[in-house]
Amino acid sequence: MKNLILTSGFLAALVLPTLAGANEMPPPGGEPKDFSLAEPVRFELDNGLSATLLEFGTAPKATIYVSLAAGAVNEGEATWLSSLTGDMLKEGTENYTALELAETAGAMGGGLSVGSGDESTTVYIDVLSEHAADAVKLVAEVLQRPTFPASELDRIKRDYLRSLAVNKQQPQALASQAYSKLLYGDHPFAGEWPTEAQLAAYTIEDVRDFYEGNFGAQRARIYVAGVFDQARVKAAITEAFGGWARGPQRVIDIPADPAAPGVALVDRPGAPQATIRLGLKTIDPSDPAWTKLVFTNTLLGGFFSSRVTENIREDKGYTYSPRSSLASHYRDGYWTQSADVSIEHTGDSLREIYGEIYRLRNEAPGADEIERVRNFMTGSFIRSNASRLGILGLIAFIDYHGLPREYLTEYASRVGAITAEDVRMTTEKYLVPEDMSLAVVGDLSQVRPQLETLPQLEGRLPD
Amino acid sequence: MKHFKPCLALAAAGLVAGCAQTPAPPPETEAAAPSAPGATFTVPVVYETLDNGLKVVLSPDDTAPVATVAVYYHIGFRNEPKDRTGFAHLFEHMMFQGSENLGKMEFIKLVQGLGGSLNGSTRFDFTNYFQTVPAHRVETVLWAEADRMRSLQVTQDNLTNPQGVVKNEVKVNVLNQPYVDTGATLAMVNKYFGNIASPAARPAQPDISEPRQEVEKRFTRVDPLAPRPGLAWAYHVPPRGTPEHYAMVLLASILADGEDSLLHQKLVKEKGYAGGVGAAINMLGNPFNYEGPMLWVGYLIHDPSHSADTIMADVDAVIDGLRSTPVDAETLDRALVKFRSGFYDTLASGFGRADLLASYALFDDNPAGINNIEAGIRAVTPELILQTAREYLRPGNRTVLVLEAGAGQPAATMSQQPGQ
Repeated sequence: MKNLILTSGFLAALVLPTLAGANEMPPPGGEPKDFSLAEPVRFELDNGLSATLLEFGTAPKATIYVSLAAGAVNEGEATWLSSLTGDMLKEGTENYTALELAETAGAMGGGLSVGSGDESTTVYIDVLSEHAADAVKLVAEVLQRPTFPASELDRIKRDYLRSLAVNKQQPQALASQAYSKLLYGDHPFAGEWPTEAQLAAYTIEDVRDFYEGNFGAQRARIYVAGVFDQARVKAAITEAFGGWARGPQRVIDIPADPAAPGVALVDRPGAPQATIRLGLKTIDPSDPAWTKLVFTNTLLGGFFSSRVTENIREDKGYTYSPRSSLASHYRDGYWTQSADVSIEHTGDSLREIYGEIYRLRNEAPGADEIERVRNFMTGSFIRSNASRLGILGLIAFIDYHGLPREYLTEYASRVGAITAEDVRMTTEKYLVPEDMSLAVVGDLSQVRPQLETLPQLEGRLPD
Repeated sequence: MKHFKPCLALAAAGLVAGCAQTPAPPPETEAAAPSAPGATFTVPVVYETLDNGLKVVLSPDDTAPVATVAVYYHIGFRNEPKDRTGFAHLFEHMMFQGSENLGKMEFIKLVQGLGGSLNGSTRFDFTNYFQTVPAHRVETVLWAEADRMRSLQVTQDNLTNPQGVVKNEVKVNVLNQPYVDTGATLAMVNKYFGNIASPAARPAQPDISEPRQEVEKRFTRVDPLAPRPGLAWAYHVPPRGTPEHYAMVLLASILADGEDSLLHQKLVKEKGYAGGVGAAINMLGNPFNYEGPMLWVGYLIHDPSHSADTIMADVDAVIDGLRSTPVDAETLDRALVKFRSGFYDTLASGFGRADLLASYALFDDNPAGINNIEAGIRAVTPELILQTAREYLRPGNRTVLVLEAGAGQPAATMSQQPGQ
């Protein structure tokens, strides 16, 4: 069997981080081991559905995962209709009632799980190995032959209303929504919430229309990972999905960058904390500089030993869990620093965050720091790919963004090649403080005067 | 950006289940024993006790070049000495504050700088610290764990001799250590932990046993911030490791694990009270990683238009069914398959396996006992399910908590200067 080598011996050169004041230095450990993975088996059906099979692990389990290119991006004004359609998939098919679907899935060792995102709907089930081929057929049934029984619609809509009520009370949800709106305006990625009236008005015909307009073989990719009989699973995929119509082509709607950065303030009188989202649109994973940006984000605010975290958590104590992150859509990406800070330190926190960005733009980090981030990223890569769903998620990510296969096999060497000056230049190029949008949720009577002292926000605060 | 997907995240109860305290052999039964064998999954276990009493468990796994190092101290928040309430959790945090060769927070930086992840938690019966690192860094982590076990720096004057409290506990070290042979790893453990002094005996343990509950208890609380009311119920479960406990694990699955479960069907699908029902034996772990009394807890967040009494009447109707008639073979088979599916994943994950091995070493002195759990579960019969439901799912054996939603908060208002 062919193997892919994900990480290998060059890591041996890496040194341990220095410890201040240690009397005895930690032992460095042994020689690093290759992370080798079976070569995935890939094939495509005549109707355009693509399949990837990956032998992985030792537990007698298999994960079946379908990613289908339909989500919020296809909704138009009909917010949450893609989710509603996804949830209705499990409410019955031509050959199974909802209860029979749940019982059949349970008898294989799993539960059918349907998720809806900005660009895709995912169907996922995790079963005992002996049921892998049957689980493929069950997933095919749900995707191809849903009946959308009207009797179940009201209950799901009530669940959504409950979720909506909870979201509206959560400062993090409010902040993320306000922030998304600044970056994406009227594009569906702004992730607006529906009104209650809008939710109530959705009909089973709306659901059916969304399904007909967006579901079909050429938009689907199926992945199977774990311990399973490859020949049987391949035959099951071919048989169960081979008759599916090609369906509509995938819709690509890449959002424009905002014309100017914005500021959104959401008032929660009496709130003891301010919830901050600061960031901007950046490059996406298909850009050759993406891994450098991931590295830069990690060093700046992406892990516990990062600069922003050390500063506003460890040193100043303004916040418990600040975090910066990168997120992406197809040919679209953005960077965000998030934090829930003590309300009286809202301005201080932002001043420090901006300050850390300026510092990294002006001065390349030291060798120790680069080393620490490099080790962290390589280790995270191995850890996150040490499970069926983890490795499937990464392969699906590579497929989704159309990345070269080397993205997987050369990840570690790509990270290893990044220099301190790369990080400085990446910050200078992509993390421009003056271009960043800001959303703050908190008691505005306290927040606003603090924001008024920040030069970056001068003349930009809303009334 | 992800829109906020309207669904409730519920704890995956019953993903892990099983048990064994006195490693009770599965009862020898019988006609209706559940179905087809199917695959089984056991894990290798190497178990040693060092001269100073440190229990060491090693379990190789070659899925990926990562290793989990887990250090479990046999002290939780319900078995700490009476005059030391809160110490277990305090120590969880103290353990990151520095030791002889590691300054404040340097343990975290060291592990992350190795490419590892780490965490610690305080549970009913243990405090744990665990790291997952690239496999070749195990020795570095062992050194660091030994450093803080031996020489935790405690500087606050008001903490009198807390090192003694820690050191008096039995310590367990578990590795999930692929790519390195167990002999070499044991030698490393000996090198770094072997010379840590072991004080006399473990302090006297508080009595946490509970009498049989005869009458239902009910409490009501008002949460001024809650946007929706909530309802929770809890039943005492059979002692860990007994045949009845294995039966209770499957009962919990039949009742509330997955969309095919009886309570999901009744409360979510049929009545529409909530978007989901959460439930677990041991809300802070799984049905196996504890010592002493435990509860099966179920809960939901529901619409204000339904009263707690109405919902509990439906819960009772479902449970009464299980207390009056033996479950059919198909239902029991399904529960068994779901159990195996979740349990195998627990055994396959570095932390899940280390956690079970540590628990069984600490509480039963028998880490290999985790390989007997599946057999115990497989031996459960419909008759045993019935008996267990009759005794343990009695209304008198439960406590009900009603959470009333407060008047709600002022709605957030938003002002914005759009950038588009």
